[in-house]
Amino acid sequence: MQPLLTIEHLTKAFPGQVALDDVQLTINAGSTHALVGQNGSGKSTLIKVLAGYHQPSGEAATALMHAYGDRPEMAVQLGDARSADAAGIRFVHQDLGLVDAVSSVENLALGGGYETSFGRINWKRETARAAAELADLGFDDFDVRAPLGSLSPSQKTAVAVARALRGWEQGARLLVLDEPTASLPGADVQRLFHAIRRLKDRGVAILYVSHHLEEVFEIADEVTVLRDGRNIATLPVDDLDHERLIELMVGHAVERKRATQANRGAVLLDVGALCGGNLHGVDVQVHAGEIVGVAGINGSGREHIVPLITGQVPSAAGTVQIGTTPVANYSPRGAMAAGLAFVAADRARQGNFAMLSVTANTTVSNVKRNVRSGRLVHSLERAESNDWIVKLGTKTAGTVAPMATLSGGNQQKVLFARGLRLEPTVIVLDEPTRGIDVGAKEEIHSLIDEAATNGSAVLVASTDTEELVRVSHRILIMRGGIVAAELTGSDITVENIERAQLQQKVAQS
Amino acid sequence: MTATIDDTAAPAPAGAPAPARPPRNWTSRVGLDKFSALYLWAFFMIVFSLSSDQFLNWTSIRLVLTEKAIVGVLAMAFLIPLAADTFDLSIGHMMGFSLVIVNVIARDHPGIPQGVGALIALAACAVVGFVSGFIVVRLRVNSFIATLGMSQVLTALTLLLSGNRQISSAFSKAYRNIGLKRVFDLPLFFWFMIILAIVVWFVLEHTALGRFLFATGGNREAARLAGVQTDRYTWATLVVSAMIAGFAGLVQSWKVGTFGNNIGPGFLFPAIAAVFFGASQLRGRPNVWGTLIAVFTLAFGVKGLQLTFTGGNKPWIEPLFEGLSLLIAVAFASRQGIIKIPRRAKAAAPAAPATPG
Repeated sequence: MQPLLTIEHLTKAFPGQVALDDVQLTINAGSTHALVGQNGSGKSTLIKVLAGYHQPSGEAATALMHAYGDRPEMAVQLGDARSADAAGIRFVHQDLGLVDAVSSVENLALGGGYETSFGRINWKRETARAAAELADLGFDDFDVRAPLGSLSPSQKTAVAVARALRGWEQGARLLVLDEPTASLPGADVQRLFHAIRRLKDRGVAILYVSHHLEEVFEIADEVTVLRDGRNIATLPVDDLDHERLIELMVGHAVERKRATQANRGAVLLDVGALCGGNLHGVDVQVHAGEIVGVAGINGSGREHIVPLITGQVPSAAGTVQIGTTPVANYSPRGAMAAGLAFVAADRARQGNFAMLSVTANTTVSNVKRNVRSGRLVHSLERAESNDWIVKLGTKTAGTVAPMATLSGGNQQKVLFARGLRLEPTVIVLDEPTRGIDVGAKEEIHSLIDEAATNGSAVLVASTDTEELVRVSHRILIMRGGIVAAELTGSDITVENIERAQLQQKVAQS
Repeated sequence: MTATIDDTAAPAPAGAPAPARPPRNWTSRVGLDKFSALYLWAFFMIVFSLSSDQFLNWTSIRLVLTEKAIVGVLAMAFLIPLAADTFDLSIGHMMGFSLVIVNVIARDHPGIPQGVGALIALAACAVVGFVSGFIVVRLRVNSFIATLGMSQVLTALTLLLSGNRQISSAFSKAYRNIGLKRVFDLPLFFWFMIILAIVVWFVLEHTALGRFLFATGGNREAARLAGVQTDRYTWATLVVSAMIAGFAGLVQSWKVGTFGNNIGPGFLFPAIAAVFFGASQLRGRPNVWGTLIAVFTLAFGVKGLQLTFTGGNKPWIEPLFEGLSLLIAVAFASRQGIIKIPRRAKAAAPAAPATPG
């Protein structure tokens, strides 16, 4: 193995905290190198130093791009975006940095400039070029002139990758992908991996940052584990298994739990013939004490089941009943009053009040509880909020800290507290651990277990198949807008879910 | 966006109940980030009292407080919908609308008691506010556009009622006396403004309703999903702001007693400037006391400049000063991290273990 990039003695300190502590990292030429670690382990900081967004602390840090092919050896100035670019390091950041309103062609040209003839943009040539670049990545199935917003998440990611690789001839040698699958559903991940393998065949080294460990095993050659800002290990993936990798990340063995048989009670959530969005008549019953998982690829209706049940969007037909109380259509408020609590899929857009305090974020679901003779008693509110912080182990600078200062996992805990404080009989969750690290994920899963044990009926829709296996007593597979299959007991495995999700597609082709 | 700031928030101790403070540089230690207007006010008081011997005497202070009471009232009208992230740009014209109604009733219908005329004016404003609410909530027109359009409709109604003529000495002596009455040597309506501010402050900061408004303003969709009736509150804020703006018209009728077509719109900018300037003070979001401090800081600044540098009435000073002050205050607040929360978060989290209690 020939080294491509060697980083040594990289230290980055923020006031009061060392984010990276004398980190050493070698990426081999043409290999796919995974970078893993819990939130706070320093992997984002490392990427940001490499990208020139942060300066390293001290003078000791060095980075060297080794000679490769006909390229000479070159020192990389860490903390300088232009130096990284000149050395041939390209980035696809998590938010992709694309513009939804314009076409793929224009997105690809942004920053790079257009091909012109006589000062006029040569659209024909630009379009052909964009189509060729995307076909190179295995994406030849969409119109590059269509607005980016109309594309699927994996197609968007492909556009971002293609843009990062623009000017490949000018020397890109290392592509950094920062959590590229964070918002991709299962089938789309495979398309992205396909593209990554093609790049690898062309000799591109890839630094792959991800929360999803199964992806690491699937795509990576080597893996580097960061913990508390230190490089704990760099190993070939073949020398590792799933448990061992988690152990390296968290520093101790994590018990992998499985849902046990539900102690089922009466039906608490009764959904009948629900239609709307991608749903075409869905019946679901969830019993007290039961956790029902909902799986399905994007477009199967899985993405609309929670919004429709909870009244986030209006349904076209069907009924939702909590216990014996029917819930009016399009009324989150009505659903909550009937005893339903939910956590929506998109934390930032549908959950957080970023500028308001943790306390206000917690108590908004029932502000009046802390009102005494017309006055909102702030001390009561803060006491309640603090109880939840302690109970859920939420890491925050305090009850008055703005929501925006919390990490994603801790924000999610606040949103759970917002729902759980209503003592709901039915809990409905949409992607409950999206973008959350392994440790916090298990804590959230334990919360879900506990809620069911205490007699709530729980429905969890998720694209994270492992999560569904972990928490569910019963799994509903959505296909084509209906519940197409149901898995129970020992049939609940990742393989069975993945297969059942895709069955119809396979049958059609 | 949230996922990208994960990394730095982790080291705070689990469940730390005591609010730890972010590291403080000298500007925050002396409160420059939260109390810059108070410093500015003190600065004006000192500098202008040295530069002009007419500045720091009770007569001119009283004059400023009296003059700006209306701006204070109108600022409250702007503040309430803004808490719910709704703009009401019609408040200036609403004030003129209310003023023309009381004047016309007093002139043309001497039989109607003028107190009743005032109530009719408030009710008319409430109706217009209700219509604005309908346009914003039901027709889904952006509040900025809706109230901008409504302000032109109000101009038309005002011209229609007044016949494009000035109205003067329509009021009875008893009605005018409200404007002349003084308590603690300040006009009664100044104290009305203070009482209004106390009520608005209590509602915004110490009731469930206030929390619902700030939740709506903070993230409308999240608020709706948390069970807050965002549409209803948005609608209500526009009715309330219309009535408060109508009340500002009444204050004007007590203070001056005449109607002119140009009265009203000119008060819009100082009111808005005060609310935004005020939002950069104290709590980093729209708030009552920051707003009032801003109203009077700007007012004393203008007064001092007029007395000091021009030796006479130079009307261009006021808009220039108010405009620049707004721009500087908001730019300063943006730099302080009110808008860039994530950057502040990075600095705040790691310091938590270092400052127990």
